[in-house]
Amino acid sequence: MARITANRLLKRYGNFQAVHGIDFDIADGEFVAILGPSGCGKSSTMRMIAGLESITEGQILFDGTPVNDVRARDRNVAMSFENYALYAPITVYENIAFPLRSAGKDQAEIDRAVRAVAEKMELTPLLGLKPGRLSSGQAQRVGLARALVRKPAVFLLDEPISHLDTRQRYRMRRFIKSIHQEFGHTMIYVTHDQEEALALADRVMVMSDGAIQQLATPPEVYSRPANAFVAGFVGEPPINFFDFSDADETGLTIEGNRVSLTDPLRARVRELGPVGLAAIRPHFMRLGAGSPVQLQGRGFITEELQDHNEIFVDIGSVRVSLIAPPGVKVARNETVTISVDPDHLLLFPADVKVKEHSDDL
Amino acid sequence: MQRKTSIPLEVLRYGAIFLVLGFFVFPIFWMVLTSFKPESAIMVSPPRFLFTPTLDNYYHAIVDKNFFFYIKNTLIISVISTAIVVFIGSLAAYSFARYNVGDGHILFFILSTKMMPAIAVILPYFLIFRDVGKTAVGKALHLGLDQHGALIVSYVMFNLPFAIWLLVSFFQDIPRSLEHSARLDGLSRLQVLRKVTFPLAAPGIAVTAVFTLIFCWNEFLFAYILTRKLASTVTVGVESFFTLQGILWGPVAAAATISVAPMLVFVLVMQRYMVRGLTFGAVRG
Repeated sequence: MARITANRLLKRYGNFQAVHGIDFDIADGEFVAILGPSGCGKSSTMRMIAGLESITEGQILFDGTPVNDVRARDRNVAMSFENYALYAPITVYENIAFPLRSAGKDQAEIDRAVRAVAEKMELTPLLGLKPGRLSSGQAQRVGLARALVRKPAVFLLDEPISHLDTRQRYRMRRFIKSIHQEFGHTMIYVTHDQEEALALADRVMVMSDGAIQQLATPPEVYSRPANAFVAGFVGEPPINFFDFSDADETGLTIEGNRVSLTDPLRARVRELGPVGLAAIRPHFMRLGAGSPVQLQGRGFITEELQDHNEIFVDIGSVRVSLIAPPGVKVARNETVTISVDPDHLLLFPADVKVKEHSDDL
Repeated sequence: MQRKTSIPLEVLRYGAIFLVLGFFVFPIFWMVLTSFKPESAIMVSPPRFLFTPTLDNYYHAIVDKNFFFYIKNTLIISVISTAIVVFIGSLAAYSFARYNVGDGHILFFILSTKMMPAIAVILPYFLIFRDVGKTAVGKALHLGLDQHGALIVSYVMFNLPFAIWLLVSFFQDIPRSLEHSARLDGLSRLQVLRKVTFPLAAPGIAVTAVFTLIFCWNEFLFAYILTRKLASTVTVGVESFFTLQGILWGPVAAAATISVAPMLVFVLVMQRYMVRGLTFGAVRG
């Protein structure tokens, strides 16, 4: 097991800087998910931890010891890959045994270790098969078994379940969580799926453009996002963004609606000035009056998802979504009042770029 | 469920197959047939299919003309050229596939040399080998005119671009994560190449070797210009039967049959690998 620290970690490919000098500290036995869109530097960061890529500047430390110059095979890091990375010509058994054979363990020990981990991963009946015969879920379990068999100090998972279908994904998610609970490895899990990150990790490290946007527990990332990027990237359905203006002690204006503010928001407005970006999660808006923060809108569409409804409403020029109980609907162009939970109204500095970015999602 | 077949369509289908097959197989059949014909039965009209077979042509080609000498030369030159091409080609292709050396420009440049017709470079090659052959290094490596080294170098130069181009796609199909995984599992970079990457690329390497060997074996222009006697290959050997007194069709057919035989056997043996190799695209990780 190991604690992993990064000091001003920087990665450059030619002229392109993929990771801009980031710092983090991952505790021994912690499960951290690195979350971000493609090209955000998350995979580069993971490969630098693994030793698969050189570190341009800065340091990575395992338990306080720099490992910059330690070769990948000497770092005692295991990794499972998005495309499983199994050796097609050899059996499942030999695939799992591979790291032990490379380490020169004796046959009896290898056999014992392989059978033990296969039992845990429910792979015993498959040991004699070649990887080509496995389903994708089985193949990824073999990949995890191969990583686990060598008792690594750090377990890295690079989008391990993004190739699987939805049902398998749910199953593997629980599987990975139970592996962490049982073995207690330091685990680092790279994903672009915010739901996976929130479901699995002790802490989520949100990255974008080669920098860490926030490193915090799932509730913090969800409820107190450090910036508009995190707010937009985390949460499903995505958060609603509005431009606000005329903000002062008395309130602020969102799409023509003047709303009054609670004390914490007033303090926030003093920091931000008169204009900026307001964000509200769909779960914290409801139809009807009753809140100090109320917005007027026109109904657009209702998606009846049975366990809840997702309702789309146009507020001024912004189309927002909100979650309502089953049975609650809006008619097209119906005038509606929306109440916003003031504790969950988030205010950020005006940043056009971030807003566009989140619109892609 | 019974598959529906319409008889006229089937007839048409097999008719087309036999037509195409005949187009490709008949010349070989005719060559083999001619090689067993007495001279009186060769250039006659109408062509004769029934005759008393004779081995005179083979005797003439092998004993009088010493045709196995050409076979030996060809074997030496093709096998060594192929070995060099496959070795250098695999390493070069690997670095192109993995490190994107030269951003694709070098790869394209290498391939573009293949677009140059051989006839355009044959004169410079002739002059270069003539002069290089006189130097100490040239002498030691048999690089002069009418020496094996000169042909080997030419064949390597001419086959390498195609080999690299073919191999790059095979290496690109091997997932990078396999190599990453092997490195984390305790192999050094070189061990990864040897134990993971090259075994997975084996079908591609086999295909490349087959193509290169066939190209070298069949090459005529370079062999004709760069050799006189000592290093001549089968294609030039067959040509030497075209004498001033006339073309010895019987011995030509016999010599051609002998030349084709090893390649035919080789390709039949390698066929399994080649088909696998050419459809290798779907590597399962």
